[in-house]
Amino acid sequence: MSKQLKLKIITPERLVLEEMVDQVTLPTTEGEITILPEHIPLIAGLASGDIVAVVNGEHVPMAVAGGFMEIKQGENKITEVAILADFAEHVSEISDEKIEKAKARAIELEKQMENKDHVDFEHFEAELERSLTRVKIADKWRTRKYRK
Amino acid sequence: MVILRWVLVNNYGRYPERKQSFVRDRQKKYQMAGTKEIKRRIKSVKNTKKITKAMELVAASKMKRAVASTLASRLYAGYSWEVLTSIAKNIEENSHPLFTEREKKGGVKANVLLVLITSNRGLCGSYNAQVIKKTISFLKSQNINLDPVRSRSLEHESATVTSGRPASNGVDIVSVGKKGDVAMRRLGVNVVATFADLSNNISLTEVVPISKFTIDEYILLHYDKVLVAYTDFISALNQKPNIKQILPVSKTELQDLINNLAPTPGEVGVPTESVGREKSISYLIEGDMNTLIGSLAEKITRMQIYQMLLESNASEQSSRMVAMKNASDASGEMIDDLTLVFNKARQGNITREISEISAGMASVS
Repeated sequence: MSKQLKLKIITPERLVLEEMVDQVTLPTTEGEITILPEHIPLIAGLASGDIVAVVNGEHVPMAVAGGFMEIKQGENKITEVAILADFAEHVSEISDEKIEKAKARAIELEKQMENKDHVDFEHFEAELERSLTRVKIADKWRTRKYRK
Repeated sequence: MVILRWVLVNNYGRYPERKQSFVRDRQKKYQMAGTKEIKRRIKSVKNTKKITKAMELVAASKMKRAVASTLASRLYAGYSWEVLTSIAKNIEENSHPLFTEREKKGGVKANVLLVLITSNRGLCGSYNAQVIKKTISFLKSQNINLDPVRSRSLEHESATVTSGRPASNGVDIVSVGKKGDVAMRRLGVNVVATFADLSNNISLTEVVPISKFTIDEYILLHYDKVLVAYTDFISALNQKPNIKQILPVSKTELQDLINNLAPTPGEVGVPTESVGREKSISYLIEGDMNTLIGSLAEKITRMQIYQMLLESNASEQSSRMVAMKNASDASGEMIDDLTLVFNKARQGNITREISEISAGMASVS
């Protein structure tokens, strides 16, 4: 069996995913990178977008919004990829209903943003980015095949 | 009648003296009162008991959820700490403003921003009172050393002028939750911001405005230290008010926090000390190191505030639960007492009526 790496996706709210995968593609602040087993230790910031892990030729897509990633050699020479995301969700968790909600929320937030003061703005910005990322990633994966 | 009272008092022998006199007072009060009035009273106490019982159950389930989310954020805290130490090893960590202690020369007092976390609602025992008391004693300790002249160090003068912010006693408050806000305003402490509309289930996005505000104020040199007064959730029966420094990010405090998060070290995948730290790994760092560290420090600050909010929330719910449990117990006792008084009054009425009837019979025959 070919080498695998250990992928962990962690948000402050929960542990979203912990799995052995063949490769993982993620959006960093500098652009998209793909990590294969035996990658050298790396630290990078994450942008909003989708993390795509590949397990046995199947894609496992996750929507993320902002955060960090760390690659290191763990015990037993297994490459560990830890993703500390502010928000992460499996694409299958984003149902059509949720997308509609997210869209509505995004529009509502954009309206609200116009007449809010500075402090609230930060909150809305984070929420808005989250909603927009959800919509974008869900649309992207709508027609493709992936592992649920 | 006298004998009856003697029996009653003796029945209460199991209660402490204070209780006895209390019960006796209540009995005296209702001795002459009609049974109807006592009945009404019992009914109202019963209703109160129902409400407190319901509140207790609600608080219990909320507490369970709050504790669960506190534990869930532990993993994230552990990992972000690990990433930070990995980066910090590679570079001069004190190059970033969020990490540097600001030295004050000539005994000039540092300006402190204190984030006070309290609840929005009352009826939660001494939860708010305790953390506010802790804050007040902290403020007092600051005021004692206070210079009579509200002076800031020269190097920060320009920042002060541009901000136009009133420097109160060197301590300004950011209040989270209505109760603390009200208390601080009453004391006349300078409250610079209030966040009162947090939901019961705190999500990370709700913490963003708070952390953003404190970090901005800190970077603009308005304050030299940011502290948080919150309530540490130790167990359902034990909560401790606490004041912790979050900015500048101090490694020892952070380490303490993370160690406290794990009741048993190394549990649930929280990276323990030894893992990955004994051998120093040289990381490749993508992007600009300083921006990366900056945003990491921001995230850690946010994570800390989030964590403290969760702890406080868990404490609030558990102390509300305990308070409501005590209230339900007390109303249960009160119902017992009142029932006794009621029965006594009813029996008294019956006895009186019988004696009246028999007296009437005696006079007739």
